[in-house]
Amino acid sequence: MTDASQIATTLGWVALVAYALSAILYTTSLYRTHPAIGRAATAFAIVGALSNFGALYARSVALHSVPYRDLLGSMKLFGFFLAILNIALEFRHRDRSLGPFLMPVALAFMLLGVSLTSPVHADAPELKGPVFALHVTLNMLAYAAFAVACALSLLYLWVGRSLKKRAFSGPASRLPSLSFLERANRTSLSLGVLALSVGLFLGLYWASRMWKGEHPQWALDPKIWFALATLAFYIFVVVRARRGAAPVSTARLSVAGFLLVLLSYTAVNVFVSKLHDFTS
Amino acid sequence: MNLLYVGWDHRAAPLHLRERLAFTPEKAREALDGLFAEHILSEGAIVSTCNRAEVYGIAAGEDSLDAVAGFFSRFHNVDDAVLRQTALSGRGDATARHLFRVAAGLDSMVVGEAQILGQIREAHRLATAAGTVRTVTNRLFMSALECGKRVRTETALGKKPTSVAGLALGLAARIFESLEGRKVLLIGAGETAELTARLLADDGVSEILVTNRSHEKAEALAAANGGRAVRWEDRARAAAGVDLVLSATNATEPVLTAGALRTALHAAPRRGPLLVLDLAVPRDVETEVGELSDVYRYDLDALQDLAAENTRARASEVPRAEAIVEECVLKFQEWRSGLLQADVVRSLREKLESIRRVELEKHAGKLAALSAPDRAAVERLTETLVAHILHDPTVGLKEGDGSERLERAAAVRALFRLDERSK
Repeated sequence: MTDASQIATTLGWVALVAYALSAILYTTSLYRTHPAIGRAATAFAIVGALSNFGALYARSVALHSVPYRDLLGSMKLFGFFLAILNIALEFRHRDRSLGPFLMPVALAFMLLGVSLTSPVHADAPELKGPVFALHVTLNMLAYAAFAVACALSLLYLWVGRSLKKRAFSGPASRLPSLSFLERANRTSLSLGVLALSVGLFLGLYWASRMWKGEHPQWALDPKIWFALATLAFYIFVVVRARRGAAPVSTARLSVAGFLLVLLSYTAVNVFVSKLHDFTS
Repeated sequence: MNLLYVGWDHRAAPLHLRERLAFTPEKAREALDGLFAEHILSEGAIVSTCNRAEVYGIAAGEDSLDAVAGFFSRFHNVDDAVLRQTALSGRGDATARHLFRVAAGLDSMVVGEAQILGQIREAHRLATAAGTVRTVTNRLFMSALECGKRVRTETALGKKPTSVAGLALGLAARIFESLEGRKVLLIGAGETAELTARLLADDGVSEILVTNRSHEKAEALAAANGGRAVRWEDRARAAAGVDLVLSATNATEPVLTAGALRTALHAAPRRGPLLVLDLAVPRDVETEVGELSDVYRYDLDALQDLAAENTRARASEVPRAEAIVEECVLKFQEWRSGLLQADVVRSLREKLESIRRVELEKHAGKLAALSAPDRAAVERLTETLVAHILHDPTVGLKEGDGSERLERAAAVRALFRLDERSK
């Protein structure tokens, strides 16, 4: 194992512990309103994100390529984006309500990424270059934005339901307002659509150049069609929301959309797609 | 340094008595001047609200609690016996604990109310301007303000309104981040609508629409609040286009039906949720309105449930607030014991030094027979004796927690009669 690879592993574990502490503290802050608990949760989220970034960087040095060219590496990137989006939304809106929902997901992805990390493979020249790097990065950013939108939607449905049932106490009463959740959901969905559109375009461009000789039927890869269908679905949701669709239905569609993302990210990658089988 | 408080509050003193004991800022200043002029207090401040009239300070004499009650009896021309029967008082840490609880809103009629903090700040400002606040009372009031802020930040004691206006705004905050920039429709142009319009205008809503059976009345209310009148028959369409609907008419039949609102919502899709507050009895808004997607409808029953919930929530926060108050009392006690300890050590040193000087002067004749080096040796010897005698009490006064140090300081002061000497 090279030095860089060792550093990547160590930093990965540091990020994992920080994410775990952050997730526990964020969840506790739903029930205990002491400001120190919330501040500590944010601090651990920042430490986790920095360590996660360090781990990704060290891995890229070891691989001489993007650090997330395999499924497990991309999981770490996904966890990183979730943590970053959580921190960004927290600082933007001065509200920690998303932490209890996003950080456990970031933790789960980091846990998979760290505990199942595959050894660094030999140099893979085809997985280099800015187009490939941007394709993967933007797709991961899009998936993370859809995950955030899903969390916001679940919160919207939870808060809305508790308000309809006139349940004025409990954790739901400490969550952000419906209007904030609705706006943040639209922003996250729009960010996801933008990132996925550009990411997919770059992916298609890269594939048309790299695979045309070795895999002439690359355009028939189910992963590509599934990703395009996911993009079409999200474009439909965003356009509908911007035209004034009921926020409750947007929230439900956003949750359904994320199930598509999860399916695309896991089952389609692993079992269906040959060209996007990151595990090989 | 005898810290004390004497006061009359909503629990012990009836309203008619509190009315007579209330202080205007001018009266408070006059009373403080009087308490100083009669050597009852050497530091002091008066907190006067509709629920309490209290004086906090440092007693200048032994029987200051009685003296303060007597002074107030003369000042307000109230029967001395009645005042003594209804007075609340305390000394030392009890004073700090009482003021900190008051600042935290724990001693208020509506537990957790926020106005008291501003009233204490004003009492402190007024006494500072009068020059009656000094080291201890200044620290006492600053600590009280800090403690009150901590309780409001670290607990939900003050975050749960119980008034109708507060509840309505609280519900609006659960649905919107704030009312700033929001559109509101008032159905009805009576007293409730008028009062609410004024509150909403203060809260920065972007547009107030008013609808009423009498369009003239709607126009008058809209004009008074920079709003716009809407025809009575257009009320459902107007409701679909705003963020908050507030209905308060005297109608005996619902004035906003689910069917009409559903049709209006279909005709003009909207972004975001719609809050409908029905403050009328009998109700103005059909209950089925609350079943429409993204429409949140509340009537007075719901507000009453919310008020009860908030009262319970406030009560459940009391133990945490009390714990914070105790932390503040301990911190203040630590500071005060440090101050007292330094004061006792200084007084003790001065007393022993004065005894040493008196004794040396008494024996000045005999000492004159000694050579200069021998006289200097005697001088050093007596100085060393004083220093050795002082060493253990000085160390002992610093040991233990705040309350132990206060007790030790009081014991040393009494044993060495330090107060008598200073008189």
